[in-house]
Amino acid sequence: MIGTVSKLELDGRFDAYQAQGTKVWLKEEVEKMSGQGVKANILVDMSKVTFIDSAGLSALVVGIKKAREHGGTLHLFGLQQAVQIIFELSWLDKAFPIYITEDEATKAFNS
Amino acid sequence: MPMPKPLKIGMISTFPPGKGSLNEYAYHFVRHMRTKAEVSEVVIFADNLLNGEGEYQDQPATDSLCPLTIVPCWEFGRKRNSVRIMNAVAKAKPDVILYNMQFATFGGDKVSGALGLMSPALARLSGIPTIVLLHNIMETVDLQSAGFAQNALIENVIRGFGNMFTRMILTADIVALTIPKYVEILTEKYEANNVVLAPHGSFEAEKPEPSFDLNPGPLQIMSFGKFGTYKKVEPLIEAFEILQNSGDRPPLELVIAGTDSPNAKGYLANAQKQYSHVKNMRFTGYVAEEDVPVIFGDSAVVVFPYSSTTGSSGVLHQAGNYGKATVLPNIGDFAEVIMDEGYTGEFFKPEDVESLTTAIARVIDDPVNREKIARQNYLASQWLPISEVVDWYIFHFQLLLEKQKNLNAVVT
Repeated sequence: MIGTVSKLELDGRFDAYQAQGTKVWLKEEVEKMSGQGVKANILVDMSKVTFIDSAGLSALVVGIKKAREHGGTLHLFGLQQAVQIIFELSWLDKAFPIYITEDEATKAFNS
Repeated sequence: MPMPKPLKIGMISTFPPGKGSLNEYAYHFVRHMRTKAEVSEVVIFADNLLNGEGEYQDQPATDSLCPLTIVPCWEFGRKRNSVRIMNAVAKAKPDVILYNMQFATFGGDKVSGALGLMSPALARLSGIPTIVLLHNIMETVDLQSAGFAQNALIENVIRGFGNMFTRMILTADIVALTIPKYVEILTEKYEANNVVLAPHGSFEAEKPEPSFDLNPGPLQIMSFGKFGTYKKVEPLIEAFEILQNSGDRPPLELVIAGTDSPNAKGYLANAQKQYSHVKNMRFTGYVAEEDVPVIFGDSAVVVFPYSSTTGSSGVLHQAGNYGKATVLPNIGDFAEVIMDEGYTGEFFKPEDVESLTTAIARVIDDPVNREKIARQNYLASQWLPISEVVDWYIFHFQLLLEKQKNLNAVVT
Protein backbone atom coordinates (compact mmCIF):
# COMPACT_ATOMS: atom_id res chain seq x y z
CA MET A 1 0.00 0.00 0.00
CA ILE A 2 1.29 3.49 -0.91
CA GLY A 3 -0.31 5.99 1.43
CA THR A 4 -3.99 5.28 1.01
CA VAL A 5 -3.54 3.66 -2.40
CA SER A 6 -3.05 -0.08 -2.92
CA LYS A 7 -0.87 -1.13 -5.83
CA LEU A 8 -1.18 -4.29 -7.92
CA GLU A 9 1.51 -5.32 -10.41
CA LEU A 10 0.45 -7.66 -13.20
CA ASP A 11 2.72 -9.31 -15.72
CA GLY A 12 2.82 -11.59 -18.76
CA ARG A 13 -0.46 -12.97 -20.07
CA PHE A 14 -3.35 -11.54 -18.10
CA ASP A 15 -5.85 -14.22 -19.04
CA ALA A 16 -8.30 -16.53 -17.31
CA TYR A 17 -5.55 -18.20 -15.29
CA GLN A 18 -4.41 -14.92 -13.70
CA ALA A 19 -7.85 -13.34 -13.67
CA GLN A 20 -9.34 -15.55 -10.97
CA GLY A 21 -6.64 -14.76 -8.43
CA THR A 22 -6.69 -11.08 -9.35
CA LYS A 23 -10.43 -10.87 -8.78
CA VAL A 24 -10.07 -12.41 -5.34
CA TRP A 25 -7.18 -10.05 -4.47
CA LEU A 26 -9.07 -6.98 -5.64
CA LYS A 27 -12.20 -7.87 -3.70
CA GLU A 28 -10.26 -8.62 -0.51
CA GLU A 29 -8.09 -5.52 -0.82
CA VAL A 30 -11.07 -3.23 -1.35
CA GLU A 31 -12.84 -4.71 1.65
CA LYS A 32 -9.69 -4.41 3.77
CA MET A 33 -9.25 -0.73 2.85
CA SER A 34 -12.89 -0.06 3.43
CA GLY A 35 -12.60 -1.75 6.84
CA GLN A 36 -9.71 0.58 7.67
CA GLY A 37 -11.93 3.55 6.85
CA VAL A 38 -9.99 4.67 3.76
CA LYS A 39 -11.21 5.10 0.19
CA ALA A 40 -10.59 1.95 -1.82
CA ASN A 41 -8.18 3.46 -4.36
CA ILE A 42 -6.34 0.83 -6.39
CA LEU A 43 -3.44 1.39 -8.73
CA VAL A 44 -2.74 -1.32 -11.32
CA ASP A 45 0.65 -1.48 -13.02
CA MET A 46 0.02 -2.94 -16.47
CA SER A 47 3.44 -2.17 -17.92
CA LYS A 48 4.58 -5.82 -17.92
CA VAL A 49 1.30 -7.21 -19.28
CA THR A 50 1.85 -8.45 -22.83
CA PHE A 51 -1.62 -9.90 -23.49
CA ILE A 52 -5.08 -9.49 -22.02
CA ASP A 53 -8.26 -11.47 -22.80
CA SER A 54 -11.91 -11.02 -21.87
CA ALA A 55 -11.46 -12.76 -18.54
CA GLY A 56 -8.60 -10.40 -17.68
CA LEU A 57 -10.64 -7.35 -18.64
CA SER A 58 -13.52 -8.67 -16.62
CA ALA A 59 -11.37 -9.03 -13.50
CA LEU A 60 -10.51 -5.33 -13.78
CA VAL A 61 -14.20 -4.48 -14.28
CA VAL A 62 -15.00 -6.38 -11.08
CA GLY A 63 -12.19 -4.45 -9.37
CA ILE A 64 -13.27 -0.96 -10.41
CA LYS A 65 -16.89 -1.73 -9.62
CA LYS A 66 -15.99 -2.95 -6.17
CA ALA A 67 -13.67 0.03 -5.56
CA ARG A 68 -16.40 2.50 -6.55
CA GLU A 69 -18.89 0.78 -4.26
CA HIS A 70 -16.47 1.61 -1.44
CA GLY A 71 -15.89 5.24 -2.39
CA GLY A 72 -12.68 4.71 -4.36
CA THR A 73 -11.69 3.90 -7.89
CA LEU A 74 -9.12 1.95 -9.89
CA HIS A 75 -6.44 3.54 -12.08
CA LEU A 76 -4.41 1.72 -14.72
CA PHE A 77 -1.06 2.78 -16.07
CA GLY A 78 1.63 1.66 -18.50
CA LEU A 79 -0.53 -0.21 -21.03
CA GLN A 80 1.44 -1.81 -23.86
CA GLN A 81 0.04 -1.23 -27.34
CA ALA A 82 -1.41 -4.75 -27.74
CA VAL A 83 -3.24 -4.38 -24.44
CA GLN A 84 -4.40 -0.85 -25.24
CA ILE A 85 -5.97 -2.18 -28.46
CA ILE A 86 -8.08 -4.69 -26.54
CA PHE A 87 -9.26 -1.95 -24.19
CA GLU A 88 -10.23 0.12 -27.23
CA LEU A 89 -11.99 -2.81 -28.93
CA SER A 90 -14.14 -3.31 -25.86
CA TRP A 91 -14.56 0.44 -25.19
CA LEU A 92 -13.38 -0.21 -21.67
CA ASP A 93 -10.73 2.45 -22.27
CA LYS A 94 -13.65 4.85 -21.79
CA ALA A 95 -14.66 3.27 -18.50
CA PHE A 96 -11.22 3.10 -16.83
CA PRO A 97 -8.99 6.01 -15.94
CA ILE A 98 -5.82 5.07 -17.87
CA TYR A 99 -2.48 6.87 -17.45
CA ILE A 100 0.91 6.60 -19.04
CA THR A 101 3.05 6.76 -15.90
CA GLU A 102 2.67 5.64 -12.32
CA ASP A 103 3.23 9.18 -11.12
CA GLU A 104 0.32 10.52 -13.19
CA ALA A 105 -1.93 7.69 -12.11
CA THR A 106 -1.12 8.19 -8.43
CA LYS A 107 -1.52 11.97 -8.49
CA ALA A 108 -4.89 11.61 -10.28
CA PHE A 109 -6.40 10.04 -7.15
CA ASN A 110 -6.14 13.44 -5.49
CA SER A 111 -7.42 15.51 -8.40
CA MET B 1 -17.32 9.60 -7.86
CA PRO B 2 -21.02 9.51 -6.87
CA MET B 3 -22.87 6.29 -7.75
CA PRO B 4 -25.10 6.95 -10.79
CA LYS B 5 -28.88 6.68 -10.46
CA PRO B 6 -30.10 3.07 -10.87
CA LEU B 7 -31.28 2.34 -14.38
CA LYS B 8 -34.60 1.19 -15.76
CA ILE B 9 -33.38 -1.04 -18.58
CA GLY B 10 -35.57 -1.93 -21.54
CA MET B 11 -34.55 -5.04 -23.45
CA ILE B 12 -35.95 -5.99 -26.84
CA SER B 13 -35.65 -9.73 -27.12
CA THR B 14 -37.31 -13.07 -27.33
CA PHE B 15 -37.86 -14.48 -23.85
CA PRO B 16 -38.99 -17.80 -22.33
CA PRO B 17 -41.52 -19.33 -22.46
CA GLY B 18 -41.32 -17.89 -26.00
CA LYS B 19 -39.24 -20.18 -28.15
CA GLY B 20 -37.55 -17.69 -30.49
CA SER B 21 -33.80 -17.72 -31.07
CA LEU B 22 -31.71 -16.16 -28.28
CA ASN B 23 -34.50 -16.61 -25.70
CA GLU B 24 -32.17 -18.56 -23.45
CA TYR B 25 -29.42 -15.94 -23.64
CA ALA B 26 -31.98 -13.29 -22.69
CA TYR B 27 -33.21 -15.42 -19.77
CA HIS B 28 -29.76 -15.73 -18.22
CA PHE B 29 -28.77 -12.14 -19.02
CA VAL B 30 -31.91 -10.80 -17.34
CA ARG B 31 -31.54 -13.17 -14.38
CA HIS B 32 -28.19 -11.55 -13.58
CA MET B 33 -29.18 -8.02 -14.57
CA ARG B 34 -31.91 -8.10 -11.92
CA THR B 35 -29.33 -8.73 -9.19
CA LYS B 36 -27.32 -5.58 -9.95
CA ALA B 37 -27.51 -2.59 -7.62
CA GLU B 38 -27.17 -0.31 -10.68
CA VAL B 39 -30.47 -1.58 -12.11
CA SER B 40 -33.83 -0.47 -10.69
CA GLU B 41 -36.15 -2.29 -13.11
CA VAL B 42 -36.02 -4.47 -16.22
CA VAL B 43 -38.69 -4.30 -18.91
CA ILE B 44 -38.60 -6.93 -21.65
CA PHE B 45 -40.24 -5.96 -24.92
CA ALA B 46 -40.84 -9.52 -26.01
CA ASP B 47 -42.46 -11.26 -28.93
CA ASN B 48 -46.08 -12.34 -28.59
CA LEU B 49 -46.46 -15.91 -27.43
CA LEU B 50 -48.00 -18.42 -29.77
CA ASN B 51 -50.78 -20.82 -28.85
CA GLY B 52 -49.51 -23.42 -26.44
CA GLU B 53 -46.43 -21.46 -25.40
CA GLY B 54 -47.99 -20.44 -22.08
CA GLU B 55 -47.92 -16.94 -20.59
CA TYR B 56 -45.27 -14.44 -19.62
CA GLN B 57 -44.95 -13.89 -15.88
CA ASP B 58 -43.96 -10.50 -14.49
CA GLN B 59 -41.75 -10.81 -11.43
CA PRO B 60 -42.03 -8.48 -8.44
CA ALA B 61 -39.01 -7.04 -6.66
CA THR B 62 -37.43 -9.11 -3.89
CA ASP B 63 -34.63 -8.32 -1.43
CA SER B 64 -32.03 -9.27 -4.01
CA LEU B 65 -33.82 -8.75 -7.35
CA CYS B 66 -35.30 -5.73 -9.07
CA PRO B 67 -38.76 -6.11 -10.66
CA LEU B 68 -39.17 -7.60 -14.12
CA THR B 69 -42.02 -6.58 -16.42
CA ILE B 70 -42.66 -8.29 -19.73
CA VAL B 71 -44.44 -6.36 -22.47
CA PRO B 72 -45.29 -8.57 -25.46
CA CYS B 73 -45.40 -6.19 -28.42
CA TRP B 74 -43.98 -7.76 -31.57
CA GLU B 75 -44.28 -10.94 -33.56
CA PHE B 76 -41.83 -12.85 -35.73
CA GLY B 77 -42.58 -12.17 -39.40
CA ARG B 78 -44.82 -9.10 -38.90
CA LYS B 79 -44.01 -5.96 -40.84
CA ARG B 80 -44.96 -3.37 -38.22
CA ASN B 81 -42.70 -4.68 -35.44
CA SER B 82 -40.50 -1.57 -35.32
CA VAL B 83 -43.50 0.72 -34.80
CA ARG B 84 -45.08 -1.57 -32.22
CA ILE B 85 -41.85 -1.80 -30.28
CA MET B 86 -41.40 1.96 -30.25
CA ASN B 87 -44.99 2.50 -29.09
CA ALA B 88 -44.40 0.11 -26.20
CA VAL B 89 -41.07 1.74 -25.38
CA ALA B 90 -42.71 5.19 -25.36
CA LYS B 91 -45.21 3.96 -22.78
CA ALA B 92 -42.70 2.18 -20.53
CA LYS B 93 -40.07 4.96 -20.71
CA PRO B 94 -36.87 2.99 -19.99
CA ASP B 95 -33.67 4.98 -19.32
CA VAL B 96 -31.74 2.84 -21.79
CA ILE B 97 -32.45 0.11 -24.34
CA LEU B 98 -30.64 -3.10 -25.13
CA TYR B 99 -31.43 -5.16 -28.22
CA ASN B 100 -30.57 -8.86 -27.96
CA MET B 101 -30.76 -9.83 -31.59
CA GLN B 102 -29.41 -11.34 -34.75
CA PHE B 103 -30.31 -10.61 -38.37
CA ALA B 104 -33.33 -12.89 -38.41
CA THR B 105 -34.78 -11.92 -35.04
CA PHE B 106 -37.77 -10.07 -36.43
CA GLY B 107 -38.63 -12.17 -39.45
CA GLY B 108 -37.58 -15.01 -41.69
CA ASP B 109 -38.48 -13.30 -44.95
CA LYS B 110 -36.57 -10.37 -46.35
CA VAL B 111 -39.25 -7.72 -45.86
CA SER B 112 -40.29 -8.40 -42.26
CA GLY B 113 -36.74 -9.16 -41.23
CA ALA B 114 -35.45 -5.94 -42.76
CA LEU B 115 -38.23 -3.73 -41.42
CA GLY B 116 -37.59 -5.11 -37.95
CA LEU B 117 -33.94 -4.18 -38.22
CA MET B 118 -34.99 -0.52 -38.44
CA SER B 119 -36.05 -0.72 -34.83
CA PRO B 120 -32.68 0.20 -33.22
CA ALA B 121 -32.44 3.25 -35.48
CA LEU B 122 -35.89 4.38 -34.32
CA ALA B 123 -34.94 3.81 -30.69
CA ARG B 124 -31.84 5.94 -31.10
CA LEU B 125 -33.88 8.67 -32.80
CA SER B 126 -36.22 8.70 -29.82
CA GLY B 127 -33.26 9.89 -27.75
CA ILE B 128 -32.92 6.81 -25.55
CA PRO B 129 -29.35 5.48 -25.33
CA THR B 130 -29.39 2.24 -27.29
CA ILE B 131 -27.05 -0.72 -27.42
CA VAL B 132 -27.49 -3.55 -29.90
CA LEU B 133 -26.01 -6.89 -28.92
CA LEU B 134 -25.70 -8.43 -32.38
CA HIS B 135 -25.00 -12.16 -32.21
CA ASN B 136 -24.03 -12.51 -35.86
CA ILE B 137 -23.11 -10.26 -38.74
CA MET B 138 -24.29 -10.47 -42.34
CA GLU B 139 -20.72 -10.66 -43.61
CA THR B 140 -20.11 -14.06 -42.05
CA VAL B 141 -23.54 -15.68 -42.32
CA ASP B 142 -23.98 -18.21 -45.08
CA LEU B 143 -27.33 -16.86 -46.28
CA GLN B 144 -28.21 -19.97 -48.27
CA SER B 145 -27.58 -22.24 -45.28
CA ALA B 146 -29.45 -19.87 -43.00
CA GLY B 147 -32.53 -20.12 -45.23
CA PHE B 148 -32.49 -16.53 -46.50
CA ALA B 149 -31.37 -17.13 -50.06
CA GLN B 150 -32.29 -19.92 -52.43
CA ASN B 151 -29.40 -19.37 -54.82
CA ALA B 152 -26.20 -17.39 -55.31
CA LEU B 153 -27.92 -14.60 -57.27
CA ILE B 154 -30.47 -13.99 -54.53
CA GLU B 155 -27.67 -14.22 -51.99
CA ASN B 156 -25.81 -11.39 -53.75
CA VAL B 157 -28.94 -9.24 -53.85
CA ILE B 158 -29.59 -9.85 -50.16
CA ARG B 159 -25.98 -9.08 -49.32
CA GLY B 160 -26.40 -5.71 -51.05
CA PHE B 161 -29.41 -4.97 -48.87
CA GLY B 162 -27.55 -6.51 -45.93
CA ASN B 163 -24.97 -3.74 -46.12
CA MET B 164 -27.78 -1.23 -45.88
CA PHE B 165 -29.35 -3.03 -42.92
CA THR B 166 -26.01 -3.23 -41.17
CA ARG B 167 -25.64 0.51 -41.59
CA MET B 168 -29.10 0.94 -40.05
CA ILE B 169 -28.12 -1.16 -37.04
CA LEU B 170 -24.92 0.84 -36.74
CA THR B 171 -27.01 3.95 -36.05
CA ALA B 172 -27.45 2.60 -32.50
CA ASP B 173 -25.18 4.27 -29.95
CA ILE B 174 -23.20 1.07 -29.52
CA VAL B 175 -23.22 -2.22 -31.40
CA ALA B 176 -21.75 -4.98 -29.25
CA LEU B 177 -20.31 -8.09 -30.89
CA THR B 178 -19.08 -11.26 -29.20
CA ILE B 179 -16.08 -11.97 -31.42
CA PRO B 180 -13.03 -9.73 -32.05
CA LYS B 181 -13.06 -10.67 -35.74
CA TYR B 182 -16.61 -9.32 -36.12
CA VAL B 183 -15.54 -6.05 -34.54
CA GLU B 184 -12.67 -5.79 -37.02
CA ILE B 185 -14.94 -6.53 -40.00
CA LEU B 186 -17.56 -3.91 -39.16
CA THR B 187 -14.99 -1.33 -38.12
CA GLU B 188 -13.07 -1.67 -41.37
CA LYS B 189 -15.91 -2.18 -43.83
CA TYR B 190 -18.29 0.45 -42.47
CA GLU B 191 -15.69 2.68 -40.82
CA ALA B 192 -17.82 2.32 -37.72
CA ASN B 193 -16.55 3.81 -34.50
CA ASN B 194 -19.34 2.55 -32.27
CA VAL B 195 -18.67 -1.19 -32.49
CA VAL B 196 -17.40 -2.83 -29.32
CA LEU B 197 -16.32 -6.24 -28.20
CA ALA B 198 -18.49 -7.74 -25.46
CA PRO B 199 -17.93 -11.43 -24.77
CA HIS B 200 -20.76 -13.93 -24.69
CA GLY B 201 -20.23 -15.10 -21.09
CA SER B 202 -21.26 -18.35 -19.46
CA PHE B 203 -24.76 -18.94 -18.25
CA GLU B 204 -24.10 -20.72 -14.98
CA ALA B 205 -20.72 -19.85 -13.56
CA GLU B 206 -19.53 -20.76 -10.10
CA LYS B 207 -21.57 -23.92 -10.06
CA PRO B 208 -20.07 -26.81 -8.12
CA GLU B 209 -17.91 -29.01 -10.32
CA PRO B 210 -20.15 -31.52 -12.10
CA SER B 211 -19.48 -35.24 -12.06
CA PHE B 212 -17.62 -36.30 -15.17
CA ASP B 213 -18.85 -39.88 -14.79
CA LEU B 214 -21.65 -41.00 -17.05
CA ASN B 215 -25.07 -42.11 -15.88
CA PRO B 216 -25.91 -45.81 -16.30
CA GLY B 217 -27.70 -46.75 -19.50
CA PRO B 218 -26.90 -46.18 -23.17
CA LEU B 219 -24.22 -43.68 -24.15
CA GLN B 220 -26.15 -40.59 -25.20
CA ILE B 221 -25.07 -38.54 -28.19
CA MET B 222 -26.97 -35.29 -27.94
CA SER B 223 -27.54 -32.27 -30.13
CA PHE B 224 -29.36 -29.19 -28.84
CA GLY B 225 -30.80 -26.17 -30.60
CA LYS B 226 -33.13 -24.87 -33.28
CA PHE B 227 -32.65 -26.97 -36.35
CA GLY B 228 -33.22 -26.78 -40.08
CA THR B 229 -31.18 -23.91 -41.43
CA TYR B 230 -27.46 -24.20 -40.67
CA LYS B 231 -28.01 -26.79 -37.92
CA LYS B 232 -28.67 -30.02 -39.83
CA VAL B 233 -29.49 -33.32 -38.20
CA GLU B 234 -29.11 -35.51 -41.33
CA PRO B 235 -25.31 -35.96 -41.12
CA LEU B 236 -25.60 -36.59 -37.40
CA ILE B 237 -28.27 -39.28 -37.82
CA GLU B 238 -26.26 -40.93 -40.59
CA ALA B 239 -23.12 -40.85 -38.44
CA PHE B 240 -25.11 -42.32 -35.57
CA GLU B 241 -26.32 -45.18 -37.79
CA ILE B 242 -22.73 -46.00 -38.73
CA LEU B 243 -21.60 -45.89 -35.11
CA GLN B 244 -24.46 -48.14 -34.01
CA ASN B 245 -23.72 -50.70 -36.67
CA SER B 246 -19.96 -50.83 -36.26
CA GLY B 247 -17.42 -51.45 -33.56
CA ASP B 248 -17.72 -53.13 -30.24
CA ARG B 249 -19.56 -50.41 -28.37
CA PRO B 250 -22.00 -50.25 -25.49
CA PRO B 251 -25.59 -49.37 -26.48
CA LEU B 252 -25.94 -45.87 -27.94
CA GLU B 253 -28.81 -43.40 -28.04
CA LEU B 254 -29.17 -40.28 -30.21
CA VAL B 255 -31.08 -37.42 -28.60
CA ILE B 256 -32.11 -34.48 -30.77
CA ALA B 257 -33.24 -31.83 -28.33
CA GLY B 258 -35.02 -28.71 -29.52
CA THR B 259 -37.30 -27.40 -32.20
CA ASP B 260 -37.38 -26.22 -35.78
CA SER B 261 -35.71 -22.91 -36.57
CA PRO B 262 -38.40 -20.28 -37.27
CA ASN B 263 -37.04 -20.27 -40.85
CA ALA B 264 -37.51 -24.04 -41.29
CA LYS B 265 -40.96 -25.05 -40.10
CA GLY B 266 -41.57 -28.79 -40.28
CA TYR B 267 -37.89 -29.65 -40.68
CA LEU B 268 -37.57 -31.98 -37.69
CA ALA B 269 -40.83 -33.77 -38.41
CA ASN B 270 -39.59 -34.51 -41.93
CA ALA B 271 -36.22 -35.68 -40.64
CA GLN B 272 -37.92 -37.94 -38.10
CA LYS B 273 -40.03 -39.45 -40.87
CA GLN B 274 -37.13 -39.80 -43.28
CA TYR B 275 -35.04 -41.65 -40.69
CA SER B 276 -37.86 -43.55 -38.97
CA HIS B 277 -35.93 -46.81 -39.54
CA VAL B 278 -33.09 -45.67 -37.25
CA LYS B 279 -33.33 -47.28 -33.84
CA ASN B 280 -32.49 -45.69 -30.49
CA MET B 281 -33.11 -42.15 -31.70
CA ARG B 282 -35.26 -39.68 -29.75
CA PHE B 283 -36.62 -36.22 -30.64
CA THR B 284 -37.47 -34.34 -27.45
CA GLY B 285 -39.15 -31.25 -28.92
CA TYR B 286 -38.87 -27.99 -26.98
CA VAL B 287 -36.80 -28.30 -23.82
CA ALA B 288 -38.14 -26.18 -20.98
CA GLU B 289 -35.57 -24.32 -18.86
CA GLU B 290 -36.01 -26.71 -15.91
CA ASP B 291 -35.32 -29.73 -18.12
CA VAL B 292 -32.08 -28.38 -19.60
CA PRO B 293 -29.85 -29.77 -16.80
CA VAL B 294 -31.33 -33.25 -17.31
CA ILE B 295 -30.80 -33.23 -21.07
CA PHE B 296 -27.18 -32.13 -20.72
CA GLY B 297 -26.54 -34.21 -17.61
CA ASP B 298 -27.57 -37.44 -19.32
CA SER B 299 -25.42 -36.93 -22.42
CA ALA B 300 -21.98 -38.41 -23.02
CA VAL B 301 -21.17 -36.00 -25.83
CA VAL B 302 -22.79 -32.87 -27.27
CA VAL B 303 -22.57 -32.60 -31.05
CA PHE B 304 -22.81 -29.34 -33.06
CA PRO B 305 -23.87 -30.43 -36.56
CA TYR B 306 -23.52 -26.93 -38.04
CA SER B 307 -22.95 -26.31 -41.71
CA SER B 308 -22.11 -22.64 -41.31
CA THR B 309 -21.31 -20.27 -38.54
CA THR B 310 -23.21 -17.87 -36.32
CA GLY B 311 -20.57 -16.63 -33.93
CA SER B 312 -20.37 -17.68 -30.34
CA SER B 313 -22.67 -20.44 -29.17
CA GLY B 314 -24.90 -20.49 -26.13
CA VAL B 315 -25.11 -24.27 -26.43
CA LEU B 316 -21.33 -24.54 -26.20
CA HIS B 317 -21.34 -22.52 -22.99
CA GLN B 318 -24.07 -24.78 -21.61
CA ALA B 319 -22.09 -27.89 -22.56
CA GLY B 320 -19.19 -26.39 -20.62
CA ASN B 321 -21.34 -25.58 -17.61
CA TYR B 322 -22.49 -29.18 -17.40
CA GLY B 323 -18.97 -30.54 -17.97
CA LYS B 324 -19.60 -32.18 -21.34
CA ALA B 325 -17.32 -33.28 -24.13
CA THR B 326 -18.15 -31.75 -27.50
CA VAL B 327 -17.87 -32.55 -31.20
CA LEU B 328 -17.55 -29.33 -33.18
CA PRO B 329 -17.49 -28.22 -36.82
CA ASN B 330 -14.20 -26.91 -38.09
CA ILE B 331 -15.59 -23.65 -39.45
CA GLY B 332 -13.50 -20.46 -39.57
CA ASP B 333 -14.71 -18.07 -36.95
CA PHE B 334 -16.58 -20.68 -34.91
CA ALA B 335 -13.36 -22.61 -34.37
CA GLU B 336 -11.62 -19.30 -33.61
CA VAL B 337 -14.11 -18.28 -30.96
CA ILE B 338 -14.00 -21.73 -29.38
CA MET B 339 -10.25 -21.40 -28.94
CA ASP B 340 -10.48 -17.78 -27.79
CA GLU B 341 -12.96 -18.72 -25.11
CA GLY B 342 -10.89 -21.67 -23.92
CA TYR B 343 -13.24 -24.43 -25.06
CA THR B 344 -12.25 -27.53 -26.96
CA GLY B 345 -13.66 -30.63 -28.63
CA GLU B 346 -13.13 -33.10 -31.41
CA PHE B 347 -13.46 -31.28 -34.72
CA PHE B 348 -15.07 -32.52 -37.95
CA LYS B 349 -15.44 -31.28 -41.50
CA PRO B 350 -18.91 -29.69 -41.81
CA GLU B 351 -21.55 -31.85 -43.57
CA ASP B 352 -19.07 -34.72 -43.91
CA VAL B 353 -20.65 -37.83 -42.39
CA GLU B 354 -17.41 -39.82 -42.30
CA SER B 355 -15.53 -37.02 -40.58
CA LEU B 356 -18.36 -36.54 -38.08
CA THR B 357 -18.50 -40.30 -37.35
CA THR B 358 -14.77 -40.38 -36.65
CA ALA B 359 -14.93 -37.34 -34.39
CA ILE B 360 -17.79 -38.76 -32.30
CA ALA B 361 -16.01 -42.13 -32.08
CA ARG B 362 -12.89 -40.42 -30.73
CA VAL B 363 -15.00 -39.20 -27.81
CA ILE B 364 -17.26 -42.13 -27.03
CA ASP B 365 -14.60 -44.81 -27.57
CA ASP B 366 -12.02 -43.10 -25.38
CA PRO B 367 -13.25 -42.26 -21.86
CA VAL B 368 -9.95 -40.55 -21.01
CA ASN B 369 -10.26 -38.21 -24.00
CA ARG B 370 -13.94 -37.61 -23.24
CA GLU B 371 -13.19 -36.59 -19.67
CA LYS B 372 -10.23 -34.43 -20.71
CA ILE B 373 -12.40 -32.45 -23.15
CA ALA B 374 -15.26 -32.27 -20.64
CA ARG B 375 -12.98 -30.88 -17.92
CA GLN B 376 -11.47 -28.25 -20.19
CA ASN B 377 -14.92 -27.15 -21.31
CA TYR B 378 -16.09 -26.92 -17.72
CA LEU B 379 -13.07 -24.78 -16.79
CA ALA B 380 -13.65 -22.52 -19.81
CA SER B 381 -17.26 -22.03 -18.74
CA GLN B 382 -16.14 -20.75 -15.34
CA TRP B 383 -13.79 -18.09 -16.67
CA LEU B 384 -16.22 -15.37 -17.63
CA PRO B 385 -19.68 -15.57 -16.13
CA ILE B 386 -22.51 -13.71 -17.81
CA SER B 387 -23.03 -11.81 -14.53
CA GLU B 388 -19.72 -10.03 -15.23
CA VAL B 389 -20.62 -9.44 -18.88
CA VAL B 390 -23.76 -7.66 -17.65
CA ASP B 391 -21.44 -5.26 -15.78
CA TRP B 392 -19.78 -4.33 -19.08
CA TYR B 393 -23.15 -3.32 -20.51
CA ILE B 394 -24.04 -1.34 -17.40
CA PHE B 395 -20.73 0.50 -17.74
CA HIS B 396 -21.53 1.36 -21.34
CA PHE B 397 -25.04 2.55 -20.44
CA GLN B 398 -23.68 4.77 -17.69
CA LEU B 399 -21.15 6.24 -20.10
CA LEU B 400 -23.83 6.90 -22.73
CA LEU B 401 -26.07 8.62 -20.19
CA GLU B 402 -23.15 10.70 -18.92
CA LYS B 403 -22.34 11.69 -22.51
CA GLN B 404 -25.98 12.61 -23.13
CA LYS B 405 -26.10 14.65 -19.92
CA ASN B 406 -22.96 16.55 -20.92
CA LEU B 407 -24.35 17.21 -24.40
CA ASN B 408 -27.61 18.53 -22.93
CA ALA B 409 -25.63 20.75 -20.58
CA VAL B 410 -23.75 22.23 -23.56
CA VAL B 411 -26.96 22.75 -25.56
CA THR B 412 -28.76 24.51 -22.70
